[in-house]
Order: sequence, then structure tokens, then C-alpha cells
Amino acid sequence: MAETTREHATRDVLVVDELRKTVAVGFRRRKVEILKGVTFTVREGDVFGLLGPNGAGKTTTLKTVIGLMRPSSGSIELNVGGLGELGYLPENPYFYDYLSGSEFLGLCGRLFGLRTRPLAGRVAELLRDVGLEDARDVQLRKYSKGMLQRVGIAQALINDPRLVLLDEPMTGLDPVGRVEVKAIIESLRVRGKTVLFNSHILADVAELCTRIAIMRAGVVIWSGPVGDALATGDGDLERFFMQVVTA
Amino acid sequence: MRRIYAIAVNTFRETIRDRVLGVIVLFALGMIIASLWLASISLNQQARMMKDFGLVAVTFFGLVVAVFVAASLVHKEVEKRTVFVLFSKPVGRTEFIWGKFLGLAATMLVVLAGMGLFLFLLTLVVAKQASGWLLVATALIYLQLLVVMAVTVFFSTVSSAILASVLGISVFVAGQLSHNVLSLSRLGNGVVLKAASWIVYVLIPNLSAVDIKPTVVGEASASWASIAAWGGYLVAYIVVVVLAASWVFRRKEF
Amino acid sequence: MLKRSVSVLVALACVAGVVVYQAHAGTKPAPAAGDPNVFVPSAKFYTDFSPSFRTSIADAYWLQMIQYYGEHWKTDQRFDALPAMVDLVTTLSPRFKQAYFFSAFALIDANRPDLSYHYLLAGYKANPTDWHFPFYLGFFAWTYASNKDRQHVAIVAADFYSQAAKLPGALPSVARLAAALLAKGGEKQKAIETWAAIYGQGDKYSQQKAIAALDALLPQGKQERVTVVTALRDLMPASQYSRFVSAIFRGYQ
Repeated sequence: MAETTREHATRDVLVVDELRKTVAVGFRRRKVEILKGVTFTVREGDVFGLLGPNGAGKTTTLKTVIGLMRPSSGSIELNVGGLGELGYLPENPYFYDYLSGSEFLGLCGRLFGLRTRPLAGRVAELLRDVGLEDARDVQLRKYSKGMLQRVGIAQALINDPRLVLLDEPMTGLDPVGRVEVKAIIESLRVRGKTVLFNSHILADVAELCTRIAIMRAGVVIWSGPVGDALATGDGDLERFFMQVVTA
Repeated sequence: MRRIYAIAVNTFRETIRDRVLGVIVLFALGMIIASLWLASISLNQQARMMKDFGLVAVTFFGLVVAVFVAASLVHKEVEKRTVFVLFSKPVGRTEFIWGKFLGLAATMLVVLAGMGLFLFLLTLVVAKQASGWLLVATALIYLQLLVVMAVTVFFSTVSSAILASVLGISVFVAGQLSHNVLSLSRLGNGVVLKAASWIVYVLIPNLSAVDIKPTVVGEASASWASIAAWGGYLVAYIVVVVLAASWVFRRKEF
Repeated sequence: MLKRSVSVLVALACVAGVVVYQAHAGTKPAPAAGDPNVFVPSAKFYTDFSPSFRTSIADAYWLQMIQYYGEHWKTDQRFDALPAMVDLVTTLSPRFKQAYFFSAFALIDANRPDLSYHYLLAGYKANPTDWHFPFYLGFFAWTYASNKDRQHVAIVAADFYSQAAKLPGALPSVARLAAALLAKGGEKQKAIETWAAIYGQGDKYSQQKAIAALDALLPQGKQERVTVVTALRDLMPASQYSRFVSAIFRGYQ
């Protein structure tokens, strides 16, 4: 009951309703429906996990929310102040070869309209938070995959966003890196940020997320608090995931 | 404007630090120096040969830089998905295209100014004859190459980098033959053929309206009015093409 | 260690091979002169091509023309393609003066003095303020004219030299050549007037030459000489005239 009251009182930051997306592929422009009516809600303060097998449509969903793709039908209600309050980390990020880490973050900050002096401080702070202080002047082409992932997270946070979308944030990270990223996500939750991320690493999802949605073949087949999922799966999110996906 | 400027500055950084660009520029400087050899077998026409062939080298290598950098400018961003990072921020598609183009234009300015100045100084030191018109000619080559770059960027929004490069070079060649298309539009009997030729004539950039080389080699005096008019035409053409590219790019999904 | 030594040895052997081959190729005798009938496109082809690169194309053919001339001058003395090259270069770059001057003399070697004259005239038309053109035209007219009437030829040449003398930068000797040829052509009065003008405007050397020439041209009788000399007053400044009179009547009582 108390949970329900709290749920109703919390604002919905992102409401996706019957989202459909069809793309034309190949020379003959054959129509393929990637999203077949995706519906889920992300509440303020959630750490929301979007799960599913490969090809389920997770990345397409995120790209449609951001605006990189236009929905064929359905609605996306984004209750933050536009892209200015959004942060996004794409999957397998690739950035500009010849910019240094600080130059790249400076670019990202300027795109949000941040002024030079506060931006310089923010860049230094973020590089410190993601452990890239020593590599600030190194060109990104010399960064390892893990370093690119970390600078990617930094650029997603440059504008201190209300909603942070992370596509496979743990990819390419060594165990130390994964611990650091999990700590960053946890700190975002503590600061009242809303986080939505895709991941295949269910252990991390179980540890970090408050709510999850599971997708398969372009639709959400289950969504709810992660506690419910764990309870149904006897404390094992992987078991629950396999039950739902293979049902 | 600030976002356009931010993208332009970083595009400039990205391209100017590219080693391939440095190699091309070194080749260009080598070709300009090679004009010294040609000049030595020209029967006391050293200054003329250095200026003329030097400007040809500047045009040719400038074209190579313009086409290959412009073709990959947009395509690389889409291919490497850096557009995902940019467009997740409050950046319009038009701002992106203009920022990229202006950054590239700044890079070309540095490259061409460097080559032009090098040619000027070489002519001054070796042939003891340098004309300020050499720098004017370099500026006009720069404008022509900006047109080619704009067209290449446009094609890169709708096709692959290789095809965009080929089309960019083709437009440069076609631009040199613009007056031939005009002649074609005046010949022939059919109204449709004449109209179509005239439309093609307007669409193809006129890259040969003013011939500045005779002035550079001391054979003629170019008119500032005609140079200014042609320059204005080229700038207007660039603006139209870049706007068209941004309009096409707005429709794109990633 | 062995693999590395072998790689280095192979690389050195290849470098040696490259150098030896090139050195050997360099000792071969130069190839025989090429065909004097070289294909040269018409100027019209290039005038239709692009106005922006005409001077560059002209310069490229200029270099080819020099090499062609040099190669055939050293070997078979045949310059069959030279007229076409001259036409191409001068049409594409009509104000490329050196091309006309070189071509004029080169076409003599090609036994085409008529073309020398033709292209010099074309060059003069395109460059009307350059004194070299009428100067060379005068030279070619006097030296290579086929007309047997030498007096007529002298007048034609003198006319060119006179035009040249009036253009900026012309050497003082050009006017003297005009005057001398006018005399040779039988235009005595014009010759006298020209020499008088030279005296009035010339340096000391030109004045000496003018006096010497006029002494031969003017009537020997004092009264007749006075009549002619008086009419020359307007052809020179007043300050020069009195000195001129003294010089021209030296030895007369």
C-alpha cells in the first residue's frame, strides 16, 4: 500500500506507449517492423533496466526516445526539459580520433551552452570521477576500449542531466572499471537522477536497478519492480529472465 | 551560433590534426618546388612558369584535400556513430551541417593560405618577381574549392564517401566547362532541350567565369568588379548547397 | 639473428641491384630524335575547354615547343610541327610576348620566315605598346623580305622602326635605324627630319650620329643647306637648335 502511494506520488519521467518502428532495409527497401508496440514507464528516481536478447529492439527503443529515429506510431512522453536535461551513452561508443579527452568533453559541454569557466571545472570534475584525469590531454584514438567507455559516461553527464540513458554501459570494462561505473550509477540514483540502461549483465541489473522491463521481438513482455522479478525467480534474476523470454 | 562555432572549432581540430592531410600538403609543396625545374627549362620565363604551374599545383592538391575530407566529413560521423553523441544533445541538424562545413572551410583556409604564401615567397626569392595577384588567385581558388566541398558534403548526405568524392571531382570539371553548357543551351532547335540545358547551366557552378592567371603572369589586368561579382556568386552558391545538404540531412535517421 | 642477417643482406643486394641497373641504363646513348611530325591539337580545342587553364596549357606547350626545337636543331633540323605549336601557344596566350619572339627566330630555321612575320604581326596587334614587336618586324622586313625592290623594303622597315621608336622603353638606336633606312629607301626629306628630331631628343652619341648622317644628306651648298636647316627649327627645342646649327655648319665660312 505504501509502495503504491509512493508510486502514484512519483513523477513519470518517461512514458513510452505502443511504440512502433518500421524500417526499410536492402536494395528493394523491404519493410521490417523492429518495434511492435513497446510500452513501459520510467519514474523519477528509478534506475530502470531494459533487458532482452539480441535483436529485441532495446537500442532502437533508446534511439527513438532520443530522437535519432522517428517512431512510426505510438507516443513517447519525455517529462524533462528537452535534450538539455538528457544524457546519452551509445553502445560501443566511438568518438573523435584527434580530440583529447578534455577537448571532447569541452565540445559536449559547449553544445549544452555551458560557458568556458564553469565548463572547465565541470570537465575536470568529470574526468576525475571516471578516473581519466591523467589522460585528459591524450588523443581519443589512443584510448583503450574501457577508457572510451568511461569518457562516454563522462560526456553523458556533462550537463548534469535529470534522465541518463546508457546503452550497454558496462561493455568493454574490466572488473575494476565495472565497479567504478556501478558506483557512478549508484551515485546518480542517490542524487535523485533517473537512469535507464540496457545491459546483458543480469547480475549488475539485479544489483543496481529498481525497476526493469524485458523485451523480446520488439515488444515488452514484462515490466515491474526488480524485487518482484527476483521473488518470482527465487532470488535469481537470470532464472526469471529465461522463464519470461522462453515462455 | 555558439553550437555551430563549437562544432566548427572541433571539426577544424579533427581535420587539421589528420596526418593524411599533412602528407597531401607536403606533396603539394613538393610539386610547387618541382615547378622550379620546369621553370629552369623555360628560356627565362621562370617567374611565369613558377606562378602558373604553382597555381595549378595549388588547385589540384587543394581539390584532393577538399573532396576527400568533405566526402568523409558527414559519412564518417554516421559510420562511426559519433552522430549519436551529437544529436543526443540539443543540436539541430542544420547547426551540425553548418558547423562541420565551416570547420572544414577553416581547415582549407589554413591549407590554401599556406600553399599560396609558400608559392608567393618562393617566386619572390627564386624568380625575384612576385605579384600580389598570386594571393588574389589563391583566394579565388579557395572559393572555388569551397563550392566543390559544399557539393561534396551534399552528396555525402545521400550516398557513400567514395561516390561523393567522385561526384565532387565531376562537379569541379563540369564547373570548368560551364560555358560549354551555356553554348549548348543556345544551340539546338528544341525548346525543351534549350530549357533543360539552361537549367543544367544554372545548376552547375560556374568555376571559370573569371580567368585571373593572365593577370598573375602579367599579361592582363583583371577587373575588381568582375572578381567581386564572381566571388559573391560563389558565396551565394555555397550557401544554397549547404542549406540543401542540411535539409536532406534533417530527414535522415540513424 | 641469422634470419635478421639474411634479411639485411637481401635488402642490400636489392638496393645494389636497383642502383646498378639505373647506372647502366644511364650510360645508354640518348634515343634518336623523335618524329618531327608531332600531333598538336588545334587551339580551338583548348579555347573551348576552359578559360581558367589556358595560360597553363599554353605554358605546357611552350615548354614542349622549346624542347622540340632544341631536340630537332641538334639532330635532323626538321621542325614540321613547329608552326602548329606556335599557333597553339600564341592563340591560347596572346600576350605571351617571349613566345612570339622565340618563335619568330625559330621559324626562320623551319624555313618559314613568312610565318615569323605573320606571328610577329599578330603579337604586335595583341601587344601594341611593346616596342620590341615593331622593332623585330622592321628587322624581319629588311632581312627576310622576298620583295626584290630593296628601296620599298627599306621604307617598310623604316616605318616599323619609326613606330617602335615612339613606344615607351625603345632604345635610342631604333630611331637611328629608322632614319638610316628612310635614307636608303630614297625618302631623303623624311630621313633629314628624322635625324633632326633625333638630334633634338637624343643623347650625345645620337647627336654625333645625327650630325654625321645629316652632313651627308643635306645639300653641300651653304645657301641651300641654310634653307633646309631653317625648316628644321620646329623639330627640336630652341636651346638645341643653336647648337645644332653650329655643328651642322662647322667648316662653313
